[in-house]
Amino acid sequence: MTSSREPAVATDEVIRTAGLTRSFPMGSTTVHALRGIDLVIRRNEYVAIMGPSGSGKSTLMNLIGCLDTPTSGEYWLDGQPVAQLQEQDLAQIRNREIGFVFQTFNLLPRASALRNVELPLIYGGVPPAERKHRAAEALEQVDLADRMDHRPNELSGGQRQRVSIARALVTRPALLLADEPTGNLDSKTSAEIMVLFDRLHAAGNTIVVVTHERDIAERSHRIVTLHDGMVSSDEPHRRSRQP
Amino acid sequence: MNVVESTRLALESIWANRLRSFLTLLGVIIGIAAIIATAAVIHGLNRYVAEKLSNLGKGVFTVQRFGLITNRQQFLEAIRRNRRLLPADARAIEARCPEAEVVAWETHATVDLKRLDQEIRDTDCGGITPAILEIEPYDLDQGRFLVPGDEDRAAPVVFLGADVAERLFPNVDPIGKDLRVGGQQLEVVGVAVKKGSFLGFSQDNYVKIPYGLHRKLFGTGRSINISVKAADDARMAEAMDAVRAVLRARHHLRPADEDDFSMVTAEGINDLWSRLTQTIFTVAMFVVGISLVVGGIVIMNIMLVSVVERTREIGVRKAVGARQGDIVQQFLIESVLLSCLGGAIGVLIAFAASTALAVHTPLPASFPAWAPAVSFLICTLIGVFFGIYPALRAARLDPIEALRSE
Ligand SMILES: Nc1ncnc2c1ncn2[C@@H]1O[C@H](COP(=O)(O)OP(=O)(O)OP(=O)(O)O)[C@@H](O)[C@H]1O
Ligand SMILES: [Mg+2]
Repeated sequence: MTSSREPAVATDEVIRTAGLTRSFPMGSTTVHALRGIDLVIRRNEYVAIMGPSGSGKSTLMNLIGCLDTPTSGEYWLDGQPVAQLQEQDLAQIRNREIGFVFQTFNLLPRASALRNVELPLIYGGVPPAERKHRAAEALEQVDLADRMDHRPNELSGGQRQRVSIARALVTRPALLLADEPTGNLDSKTSAEIMVLFDRLHAAGNTIVVVTHERDIAERSHRIVTLHDGMVSSDEPHRRSRQP
Repeated sequence: MNVVESTRLALESIWANRLRSFLTLLGVIIGIAAIIATAAVIHGLNRYVAEKLSNLGKGVFTVQRFGLITNRQQFLEAIRRNRRLLPADARAIEARCPEAEVVAWETHATVDLKRLDQEIRDTDCGGITPAILEIEPYDLDQGRFLVPGDEDRAAPVVFLGADVAERLFPNVDPIGKDLRVGGQQLEVVGVAVKKGSFLGFSQDNYVKIPYGLHRKLFGTGRSINISVKAADDARMAEAMDAVRAVLRARHHLRPADEDDFSMVTAEGINDLWSRLTQTIFTVAMFVVGISLVVGGIVIMNIMLVSVVERTREIGVRKAVGARQGDIVQQFLIESVLLSCLGGAIGVLIAFAASTALAVHTPLPASFPAWAPAVSFLICTLIGVFFGIYPALRAARLDPIEALRSE
């Protein structure tokens, strides 16, 4: 996939971070969630991020997803320094370039599954008819065609997770960021989701998945392990194609 | 995100909290209803005054001893300074002002009317020269009006206002019947069409008799009001100057002296009236304005609450690509819609109220046609003004922090 932004840096680096830190001042102390992350992810890589709870995986994903700003360090997305982007550009990136699957779903409670999946398309300016069609298609992809009119509280945890995956996929983003996308799914649905991810990867997408589960991680080509806010290991996996 | 989508969201959100929305709107509802009801009453009064009270036609003015006096100071000065106007003044105008086509006059007395055992006390008895008809026509219901012949002979005839006819001649044709006016037996020659009442005062409680007769019955010293119709409507100002010059000469005024009489035109009456109602309106607007400001603050408060309640929702929207502008638009449309909804309810209430007022009270209230449009404008402004701060607060939320909030 290509970005329409300036081709100044002819590179296939989708993500590059340098000395990325993120700390949260908590009263008198400061929580250092990330302590300097240097990470490069290239186009069409399939990366799993692992690490114990509290090691900073979600924090890193939020930074990569342009939802949060680092305390220090730099981040280039598609060769562009993110720190220099305007609010509107960031909104557009979140809308078009990145699909984000949240660990906690983050669905709108009052809206139906279909409406939730439509949401990014609304902000993308897609006309209503096409919007509905594409949202329905995305829900079918995650096997929820029969639950479109249900609200999140009428769905199981796994179903909610799939709605949020559908929402991340509906704009056909080049970069898919998934924070424990299978954390709430049974092994069968997990497997289906992972097949879906494989397919997206085969179609040329770049995928970053946070997971606790070894077998999920093993479907990726590269496993990055975080420990206490730092990368403790970064190794290619069996199916990896080294650039 | 387009406006249709935002509007839909706003409606959903207003509907989801309908009781709260309604309570929020009370301030705006009451404010708008009060503005329009006040405007309806004033509009009704103005229309009445323009159509019925200042029935001086085009090119017509009157010369009066006192004229339009609105304060005590003016009144005291006028009493001291202004001379009575007498028929001789009117005749001088007639003789010396070619600019005045018609000159007529009327004087007033308060009399008791009696017929058989029926009596009406304190009725206005006008002594008129019949030429006044050419200036200020009366609508005739029955019989005839006073004619020049009546005046020449000081004929013992009387013309009745509709109320007098109704009360003293309930089931009888009054024409040709006798009526005692201030103790004098007069013959009824005609009855006017009913004009109705204004602010509870009947406009039909009067009798008219020939001026000569009035003099005989009630004395020669009463000041008269002189009505003048200019020969050329468009040149009334010149006619007024000519009349002024004649009267000043007759009254031996020096150039530095002020007029010792006053001239009243339809415009003058309307001007005075609109100045009066404008004052009332301004005061009313001030009071109502306060209630609208309160209404606006309540809307702002509820929007702030709404932003806090929906922090997570805002986080989700921003996370999937909503720009600050989209969020501002969403919340602004919600506050504008909320306020306009209040305005619409207020307009309906005002419409009902002004109809009820016109039917059940002496106030001639009339719902102004501009009310819905103006209310819409006011409410839009309120919605924007008081909604912009909450909307900006929502838009500036940090996506991740918003998502983390409970
Ligand atoms: N907004 C915040 N305020 C304060 N501390 C925070 C905040 N966000 C994250 N942290 C802290 O940063 C550290 C990393 O959190 P993070 O959510 O990234 O962990 P994680 O690796 O995703 O864990 P899990 O596997 O349990 O999801 C934790 O110690 C957490 O308490
Ligand atoms: Mg996490």
